[in-house]
Amino acid sequence: MQSIFAVNIKKSILLRVRVAFLVMVLGAFAIVWRIADLQWMEGSKWHKAAQDKMVRYRQVKATRGNIYAGDGKSLMATSLPFYKLAIDPTIPEKKVFEKGVDSLSILLSRFFGDRTPTEYKRRLKDVRVANEEARRKGRREREYLVINHKLVNYQEKKMMESWPIFRHGRMGGGLIFERMDLRYQPFRHLARRTIGFMNQGNEGAGLEYSFNGQLSGKDGEALFQRIAGGGWKPIRTATEVPSEPGYDILTTIDINMQDVAEASLARHLADHQANYGCVVVMEVATGEIKAMANLGRLPSGQYAETYNYAVGQQGRTEPGSTFKLASIIALLEETQIDPRDSINTGNGVLQYYDREMRDSKNGGFGKITIQQAFEFSSNVAFVKLMRDHFNTKPQRYFEYLESFGLTRPLGFQMLGEAVPVIRRPNDPGWSGISLPWMSVGYETRISPLHILSFYNAIANNGTMIQPIIVKEIRMEDRVIDSFRGKVINEKVCSGETLKKVRKMLEGVVSHGTAKNIANNDYKIAGKTGTSQKLKNGRYTKSYYTSFVGYFPADQPKYSCIVVIDDPKGIRQYGADVAAPVFKEIADKVYAQDIQMHKRMAATKWDQEGVFPTIRAGHFSELRYLCNELGISNHGLHDQDWVVARTSNNSVQWHSRQPRPGQVPDVSGMLLRDALYVLENRGLRVSFAGRGRVVYQSQPPGSQALKGSSITLKLAE
Amino acid sequence: MYARNKSEIPSSRIDWLTVGIYAACVIMGWLNIFAAVYDPEANQSLFDFSLNAGKQLIWIGSSLVLVIVIMVIDFKFYEAFAYLIWGMFLIALVAVIFLARDVNGAKSWFEIGSIRVQPSEFAKFGTALALAKFMGTAGVKFEQLRTKLICGVLLGVPAILILLQNDTGSTLVFASFVLVLYREGLPSWVLVLGVTAVAVLVLTLIVDKMILFGVIGAIAVLIIFRLRRKNFQSIAVVTGGALLVAGMITGVDFFINKVLQAHQRNRIMVLLDDQADKKGVGWQVMQSKIAIGSGGLIGKGFLQGTQTKFDYVPEQSTDFIFCTIGEEHGLLGSSVVVALFVALMCRLVMLAERQKDRFARIYGYSVASILFFHFFINIGMTVGLIPVIGIPLPFFSYGGSSLWSFTILLFIFIKLDAHRTEMLGRMN
Repeated sequence: MQSIFAVNIKKSILLRVRVAFLVMVLGAFAIVWRIADLQWMEGSKWHKAAQDKMVRYRQVKATRGNIYAGDGKSLMATSLPFYKLAIDPTIPEKKVFEKGVDSLSILLSRFFGDRTPTEYKRRLKDVRVANEEARRKGRREREYLVINHKLVNYQEKKMMESWPIFRHGRMGGGLIFERMDLRYQPFRHLARRTIGFMNQGNEGAGLEYSFNGQLSGKDGEALFQRIAGGGWKPIRTATEVPSEPGYDILTTIDINMQDVAEASLARHLADHQANYGCVVVMEVATGEIKAMANLGRLPSGQYAETYNYAVGQQGRTEPGSTFKLASIIALLEETQIDPRDSINTGNGVLQYYDREMRDSKNGGFGKITIQQAFEFSSNVAFVKLMRDHFNTKPQRYFEYLESFGLTRPLGFQMLGEAVPVIRRPNDPGWSGISLPWMSVGYETRISPLHILSFYNAIANNGTMIQPIIVKEIRMEDRVIDSFRGKVINEKVCSGETLKKVRKMLEGVVSHGTAKNIANNDYKIAGKTGTSQKLKNGRYTKSYYTSFVGYFPADQPKYSCIVVIDDPKGIRQYGADVAAPVFKEIADKVYAQDIQMHKRMAATKWDQEGVFPTIRAGHFSELRYLCNELGISNHGLHDQDWVVARTSNNSVQWHSRQPRPGQVPDVSGMLLRDALYVLENRGLRVSFAGRGRVVYQSQPPGSQALKGSSITLKLAE
Repeated sequence: MYARNKSEIPSSRIDWLTVGIYAACVIMGWLNIFAAVYDPEANQSLFDFSLNAGKQLIWIGSSLVLVIVIMVIDFKFYEAFAYLIWGMFLIALVAVIFLARDVNGAKSWFEIGSIRVQPSEFAKFGTALALAKFMGTAGVKFEQLRTKLICGVLLGVPAILILLQNDTGSTLVFASFVLVLYREGLPSWVLVLGVTAVAVLVLTLIVDKMILFGVIGAIAVLIIFRLRRKNFQSIAVVTGGALLVAGMITGVDFFINKVLQAHQRNRIMVLLDDQADKKGVGWQVMQSKIAIGSGGLIGKGFLQGTQTKFDYVPEQSTDFIFCTIGEEHGLLGSSVVVALFVALMCRLVMLAERQKDRFARIYGYSVASILFFHFFINIGMTVGLIPVIGIPLPFFSYGGSSLWSFTILLFIFIKLDAHRTEMLGRMN
């Protein structure tokens, strides 16, 4: 019994050992069977799959269109081609290669500066040696060697094409340039956010993003071969689908104005340590945006174009007193009131339900006219007027805002335009104070561009037009599409009202809140705005300041808005912070634009017997000048340098021809001529003063020593 | 003879065949790691220590030191300290959960300077030692419930700790001990049940559940009709079996849809459908198959593989190292590798069977089973036979922890085998 049991156990163990063996062998067999299946039975299928991976049709990126400034010439954004340098080492003949490899290696090393000539030489030679061996053994040769992954530009490419070996071209030297386009802004940071960008994920901002469809063009396809190192090498075939380049877009931006606006804004933002600021300059008659600058404060304290506050959500804020323009137009249109009517603003504080409305002047303005109430931006006056005239019909006020185009988006060409938030009388948030508070620019949110468009309408004789920033889409010289600002409202108010409000806007600058920017050259009309910022439902001591207006007020050419958010320091009002920026920009624009200048009264300069200052200089130039001015002159011919003496009403020329080896006489000459003459003698010139030469340290006619120094004194 | 130091062994007692296979595997592995990371652009050296191949050379060198240490230590040490070693690795496994940084979703690496150590790799031989020691103790019989429970603790605790590290692959390796337990008396039905479960798992994925129920019912009815002795007992057995399988189908369904995470489910689906999860694991398997399949009969030649070099194949020097072998050396080279493993495992089973000591025999079986599991799962995964489970190919895959742990695992057994005559012979 015992032994039988033992035998059974032994049998059982033997069986188990066999099963264990079997499991292992079966497992191994399954593996081998599967490998054989993959490599033998299905081998050709997988081989083909691997081959397919090595050659593939790949996208060939279309060249992106350019973005031009309004002049149609200045490039604001363009794609520049860059190239990756590679060589097909199988191509150059032995003779060509051996002869050129040394000098090519030196050139490559000098150009890239990352490897020594010996290393470049070894790199080029090694691959050829390896290829020879591959050829002997019947294996594939390497046909692509990236010489350096650093991108080279077009000029550099041209230069490289003349280098040894490379100069034999693609077919003789095996030279391969793989092209890739990079976006480049010639004006660097200028209007950066307005131009915008596109990133890899097809997202972006600004014009690049809004007009991506037109700019991007159509990608083509070409056959590429996978090469070592993870790159693709183009193979030339007839099956290529060529790419279609993108369209160019022509903006309305004026580079000079943009520059002026940006520079001025940047300086003032830094002065006030403000949070952000923006400037938009618009052409009154067309709605074309000439400049759009946006600067936000970086954590480092510097300012950069990071967000389009003029257009986008983040710039949509309570506008403050600039909104009073809409209210006064509504009042003038709806009622019989006249700017000359007087209104008592009391001590400048008005209790309204549970809230208080205050004027900026301590103690209040007392009894003033409505004109003055606008000029000094009295909140109390507006609240009272609104209460008296619109309290029973707030809907009416809303209808006015609607007709001013302030309640709907402008339909601006740039994507991401902020939608204005303006309450309706039957909205849930509407309260007893909504109407008066709205009338002075609170409880509404609207973008700076929108406010500007409204002011532009006043400048444009009441016609409100949509602002535009892109006027044409072009393919080379062909215009594909062109844009004009649509008319939003032919007439926002009656001609009489228009006249009144323009006078009020002029009054703001001539003797109102923005008196500080009044000037004698041209008239500015506009309105300051200062709003307290709402934080956690409470108005804080931080402000949003703006100035919006147009110039010259008599014949408006440009309208402009300046916004500076959260200025720090003592000066926190629109008049002190934003208005000076407006003035600076307006001054420069005015100075550059000859059409805006008033005709100068012709002054009689040419008094009898007084000659313009003509003393000494280059003969042909001086003679030309005299002839043009109608001054009779005579005396010499064929001289280079002369001095003038006057006799009666004519000029007599005397020679100033320097003699060789002598110090010339330069007295009476302008610095430019004196420098020319003296330095031609080999003298080293230093000078002081400005105007014409009155003294020279080496007397005329003395020995001129090459390299010796001579000092000039100049005087007007 | 017995007066001599017990750790000294004449070289003739060492099983040089096993050592030779080990050496061949390690050297082939090293060359293939170099091929996997080789960049034809850069003139790389096999001894460049910034590359995986160079680093692997360091691991190989240090493994040799380990081998010498193992051979010098008294052979009784391993049995004597088996539980202690098991316990130490248990502590390491717990510690790693709290101290490790997340790498690819798993928290299983200790970082000591630039070196990363994975305790779960070492836990395998600790568990093998402890299991062998326990099962080798005189009087322990597998039939006893207590034995089963203790075996469960010895295997289950480290397995659960590794599962907590989110390292499912290494956890599954513990399944390989089933083969060891089977040899030592685990009832056959457990094995049958396991195989049935896997079969059911695959079937439920391919065939609709209702059809499966129908088929099982039909088979049960057919068997009952064909039964020679239609007594109550045999009918009950067949019916019970059918119900069990039906229950399994429901369970598997639940397991796949509720227990498995989406990525794990995908790994199984990919086996059945080339087009499944094309961007995730399906892509990996496809690349792996393309690499191996394009190798053909004789392969593309050393360093001539293209699929692995262009980084099409993921984890090309670790878990998918077999792709490089398949691509560059073809069916011929693959077969050599498989043959090496089969030879090693058969040799280990043979060596295990000739042990007189139960401890050494069970340990030997454990070594063979663990190696088999790794070999089968790893290569099976690269050729699309098995779901993608990230475990290394012993001796071939790049990585210090894995090479060290397999070296230790194997050479402890070689050491024990060399001393087999000195061990106390015990009959079962």
